[in-house]
Order: sequence, then C-alpha cells, then structure tokens
Amino acid sequence: MDCTSFFFALSPTARSAKYCGEDGQWFRHPDTNRTWSNYTLCNENTKAKLKSAYILFYMAIVGHALSIASLLISLAIFFYFRSLSCQRITLHKNLFCSFVLNSALTIIYLVAVVNNPPVVARNPVGCKVLHFLHMYMLGCNYFWMLCEGIYLHTLIVVAVFAEEQHLHWYYLLGWGFPLVPASIHAVARKKYFDDNCWMSVETHLLYAVHGPIMAALLVNLFFLLNIIRVLVTKLRDTHRAESNMYMKAVRATLILVPLLGIQFVICPWRPENRLAGEVYEYIMHILMHYQGLLVATIFCFFNGEVQATLKRQWMQYKTQLGQRRKDHCSMRSASYTATSITEEPAFMYHHDCNSEHLNGRRAEDSELVALKLGDMYA
Amino acid sequence: MLSQCVSALGCGSHYEFGIEDLCLAKFRLDMHELGERHWCSWEDTVELYGRLTNCTNLVAFKLGCFWPNKLVDDFFIRVHKHYFQDCSLSGRLLKDPPNRILGPFIVVPILVTLLMTGLVVWRSKRSEGIV
Repeated sequence: MDCTSFFFALSPTARSAKYCGEDGQWFRHPDTNRTWSNYTLCNENTKAKLKSAYILFYMAIVGHALSIASLLISLAIFFYFRSLSCQRITLHKNLFCSFVLNSALTIIYLVAVVNNPPVVARNPVGCKVLHFLHMYMLGCNYFWMLCEGIYLHTLIVVAVFAEEQHLHWYYLLGWGFPLVPASIHAVARKKYFDDNCWMSVETHLLYAVHGPIMAALLVNLFFLLNIIRVLVTKLRDTHRAESNMYMKAVRATLILVPLLGIQFVICPWRPENRLAGEVYEYIMHILMHYQGLLVATIFCFFNGEVQATLKRQWMQYKTQLGQRRKDHCSMRSASYTATSITEEPAFMYHHDCNSEHLNGRRAEDSELVALKLGDMYA
Repeated sequence: MLSQCVSALGCGSHYEFGIEDLCLAKFRLDMHELGERHWCSWEDTVELYGRLTNCTNLVAFKLGCFWPNKLVDDFFIRVHKHYFQDCSLSGRLLKDPPNRILGPFIVVPILVTLLMTGLVVWRSKRSEGIV
C-alpha cells in the first residue's frame, strides 16, 4: 500500500506493508501482540529531511552573517576614503545600509521566531511586527537597486554629463515607499490570513509584497537595457571614451539585477524528484541569503577605483613605516611628491566615479581617461 | 490459510455500513459540538478519536472481521482528510480569500509601485532643467 501523503515528512513514493502469516492471521508484533503494519519505510526519510532543514537553516544564518560583515567593511571603506565619495557612492551606501538591516532582521527573525515553536504558539504581537519590518526591509533592498538604475538612467540617457541630481526623490523611493506594500500586506494578512506570527508562506497574499518587488526588478532591467541601447547606438560615435566608461558602470548593475531577481523567477518550479528538490532548495537558499555578500563584492571589492585607493593607502602606510625606521630626509620628500601626484583634484574623481571597473582593470587606465576628460573640460 | 485471508475480504459492505452508521455518526456529532476551531487541538480531540477507533474495533469483532483491515484504513484516511487535513504546527491553516478580494490586494501595490517609479523618473528629469 502506498504511504499516504497527508503528512509532509512521509515519502509518498515509499510503500507500507502488512504480512499475512501461515496460519491465516495478520502478522502480530511480538511486543504488543497486536496486528501490525510495517510503515517504517514511510518515515525513513523524515530524519534526513529534518537534518536537511537544519542545514539550510544554519546556511541561511551564515549567509546573512557573512553579508553583514562584508557590507560593513565596504561601508567603512566608503566612509573612510572621502576621495571616493560622489552621488553614485552615496546611493551605494544607502543600498548597503538597507542590505545590512535586512540581513540583521532576517537573522533575528530566524533565530527568535522560526526556530522557536513556543513563541509561535504564543503568537505575540511582536512577532507580527517583526514580520512587517522584515517585509519592509526586503522592499527597501530592491527599491534601492531600482534607485541605482534610475540614477544611471537619468545620468546617461536623459541628461548626459549633467550636474549633480537632487537625491531627495531617491531617498523617498528607497526608504519611504516600501512602507506601502508592507502595510498593505500587513492589513490583508490581519484580515484574511491571520496565522500565528504570519509565518505561513502558503498564501498568495505574500504577492502584495513580492509583486511590487518583481515590478521594480523588471522596470530596473528595462532601464538598464535602455541605457545599453543608448550607449551602443547614440553615444558610440560622438563620445567614445565616455560611453566606454559608462558601459563599465552599467555592467556591474546589469549583472546584479538578474542575480537578485532570479530567485523570484525559479521559485514556482520546485522539482518533484527528491534529490533534485534538495539541490533546488540549496541553490535557492544560496541565491537568497548570500545576496549581501554578492552586492558588496561586485560594487565595492571588485571596483577598480576602490582597489586603487586601497593600494595607494597601503603604499603610503608602508612608506611611512619605512621612513620611521630609517628616518632619511630624502625618503620623506620622495614620499610627499608621490602622494601629491596621486592626489588628483576632486573634479577628476567625479567623472572617475562613473567608470567603475568590474574586474579591477589597472588604476592607470582610469587615471588616463580622467586626465583626458580633464583636458577636454579645462 | 489462504481461505482465511480471503474471508477477511468478505467483510466488505456490511462492515463499511456498520462503521459509518454506528461510529462515524457519533464522531461527527461530537466534533461538530467541539467546533471547527478546536479540531486541530490534539488534547481536545484525543478522546473522541480513541472512541472512534475502539468503535471500529468493536464492529469488526462483532462481524468476525479482522482488525485492522484495508477498509478501516481507508475510513480513517477519509476522516483525517475531512477533519485534520488543515492542521499545522502554527494552528489551523487558513485559506486565501476569494480572487475578487485577493486581486486588488496584489494589483494595487504593483500599480502604485509603477506610478511612484514614473514620478521619481519624471522629477529627476525635471531637476535637470530638462522637461
């Protein structure tokens, strides 16, 4: 007889059995002397499934912790090196802040609610508030990515080489607007699907939050493709150097948007097969919980400008150490001239900010381009 | 030996009617009195469930059938499907509202998002002095 599938941890493909003995009686279990059916095959996988659930849980926590660490390091780099700052970096800082808060909230939610059945059973108001904040921060993440896309679009397509934009509307879209889908979801959940701590994911009301997020990702993708189109067709002939520069800036964002969005695309298609299902779960968890690490890596650690600045700082530090040891007059003057050459004027960095190299091309390249631009505007 | 296993299958429709009329009817009444909200609470339902089980056992004994058997297994699966299917760790599972309520809750945030995005794009255009 097939194991029934009404309990989630039983495998519906396994079979249970009952034995008819030689004397015409059903097999009786020696311990209880009652007729006994063999259901052991049905729940032989339950332990494995529980173990796998725990592994995924710890993986999620590790992912978010790594994300927080890498994002905090990136934020420290952006705040410490004033020479790096420009409008795009300001948007990056806000994006990173939202990722840090999102990861922190997720860890708190996982540890305090998901792993804590007594709290779920008690169903305090606090855990619903936590869920609301979680949905809000999730929205913030994706809407800040959208802000990055809109900023690049305005900079490149709408007003090429424009002055600084007013960032107020971006702040509103990134921090203020996600309250709207989160509130709508909270109201709907309270009225129509008020389960304990709003933990269930079996409801379509979650689309009140995920729908706008997917819309934001699609709009973002559309903007980025439009930017590429403009760069390739219109600017290529007239402003070749700048179009190359902007292309590199866009490349980073263009890689990130599908990576952040792909979890929503493949979400509905969980394979039926047990092994494929497990692989799917692991991939989804990596895509969902290691996003902060990915964003910090692509926008900060792989950024040629950041790498150049860090290298420069390291060289300064080394020469300072060296001079403290040897204390040579000539060495000191040499190090001063070296720093004055590398300290370029601020307006150079404004344009340089837009040429974010993805795989850390040589710093000299970006400085050459910046010098060229400087010549153009001088 | 085979004949005795076969005679167990002979307890077909009699047994089924027996447990439906005698056992399930009482169980249905008791569960109705308890109220749907408490169906998933094991402490409240364990006694009724035990009574149902013993009842099926008794009917089987009276009719000379073996117990448990496939009929009673199917019977209990039907009982579980009806009364205990929506139970979960976090309480009785709820159902989504109908589409005419669910629809606006999903479509309205999406539309507001697109509107807001358009607004931000338009305002950032305007702040450049470009209309």
